[in-house]
Amino acid sequence: MTALLDRPVDTTAWTVGEPRLLAGLAQHARLDLAAHLSVHGALPPAERLVGYLEATPIAGRGGAGFPLAAKLRSLPGRAKHVVVNGTESEPASRKDRTLLLRTPHLVLDGAIAIAAATGARDLTVAVHDAAVAASVRAAVAERGDARGVQVRVIPGGFVAGEARAVVRALQGGPALPPGRRTPPTATGTLVSNVETFAQAALLLRYGPHRFADTGTRTEPGTTLLTVGGAVARPGVVEIPLGTPLGIVLAAAGAPALPEAVILGGYHGSWAVPMPDLRLSREGTAAVGAAFGAGVLLVLDGASCALGELARVAGWLADESARQCGPCRFGLPALAADVAALAAGLPRAGAAAQHARVVTGRGACAHPDGAARFVTSGLHLLRDEVDRHAAGGCRRPVLAQLPIGGAR
Amino acid sequence: MSARLAVDWTRCDGHGLCAALRPDRFGLDEWGFPIVGDPDVSPADEPALRAVVSACPALALRVDRPHR
Repeated sequence: MTALLDRPVDTTAWTVGEPRLLAGLAQHARLDLAAHLSVHGALPPAERLVGYLEATPIAGRGGAGFPLAAKLRSLPGRAKHVVVNGTESEPASRKDRTLLLRTPHLVLDGAIAIAAATGARDLTVAVHDAAVAASVRAAVAERGDARGVQVRVIPGGFVAGEARAVVRALQGGPALPPGRRTPPTATGTLVSNVETFAQAALLLRYGPHRFADTGTRTEPGTTLLTVGGAVARPGVVEIPLGTPLGIVLAAAGAPALPEAVILGGYHGSWAVPMPDLRLSREGTAAVGAAFGAGVLLVLDGASCALGELARVAGWLADESARQCGPCRFGLPALAADVAALAAGLPRAGAAAQHARVVTGRGACAHPDGAARFVTSGLHLLRDEVDRHAAGGCRRPVLAQLPIGGAR
Repeated sequence: MSARLAVDWTRCDGHGLCAALRPDRFGLDEWGFPIVGDPDVSPADEPALRAVVSACPALALRVDRPHR
């Protein structure tokens, strides 16, 4: 696992519209403190942030989309510990590592401001790989206001990136979700995604009014996507929230009529690539899809889509922590169903049943997310399922969907 | 909100005692892990269900009180 995680991360990044998070990155490979201050300016006093957050909804950017203001409110009094979750475990996502590698001071600004605003004494940046840790440590060493900041490398794995698993690993336990669904805020630990802190740093500088001059009324500002699959320009992309899918696909050099897109990564869903689908939580929810942590993958029709789904279903089964019976046995059964469908066998009923039976029956959301991914894929590919039953689609599986160390 | 049956899935080993004791409340999936049909626990049924919770050999069952 370590060997895979230590592979260099492709931090190619571009923007649709004005860059905010990615400001300065067209000119600089990495913003050191001097470059950061010249691009973004000095950080205003942190005490303004809580009021700004009440006026400006920022949904958590780790996938669940929990509003940052609500997370702050759910703390019992002061926070003890602020944790920047940089353990980006979704194989198709690179946005958090791109921020930490190329503009680490923006993330530290947000984290230090939130720690100050909530009264937290401890601030930890948790990551999975050494290169990212080195970038953050170098940034911490440049600043006068980051002396107490800890940078910790904790073990990898898909479910190890879940907030409660991260907290458990930081406390010396296994990097696994615990059996009780108590949120870390209940004990004074505020865990949030890397991009969420960077967004908070932008809000503190811009104020609510300017922050909301892009994006939608309910979801102001920008967001990061990681765009991959069959596109000419894969990379991390900053877009105004609510940007139509067609604009991002065109800018990424996707084929004019992709076969399918995957939104939200491997806990997300397959969707028909409708050009006017709005890339926001609301816009994706309106078509029954998930925004997740902002992954957009494109299948162009050259690769066998059902075979791609079967590969990822197998990977999701392998990523089960094997703590919880329904996930440990159910996800391999579900993956076998999809592989059988790809081989032309009639297993659609079994797949639907296995997806239903794992949902809601685990310590974390891995079985639910995996079931949603497979169910939405089988629904979108129902004609493909028929084609495979009638002899196959005669397309090779090109591995357009990245899994494992394919970063 | 009433009390609710909850399974700690990291502890459950699929012994199936819950389903043997209260087949009206617990089914089993094809691997022997419990399926809780309706998690709501009525005050009248709570003592009997707490006895099932105590009987679980893996200490994986609990009755959660709503807390706020």
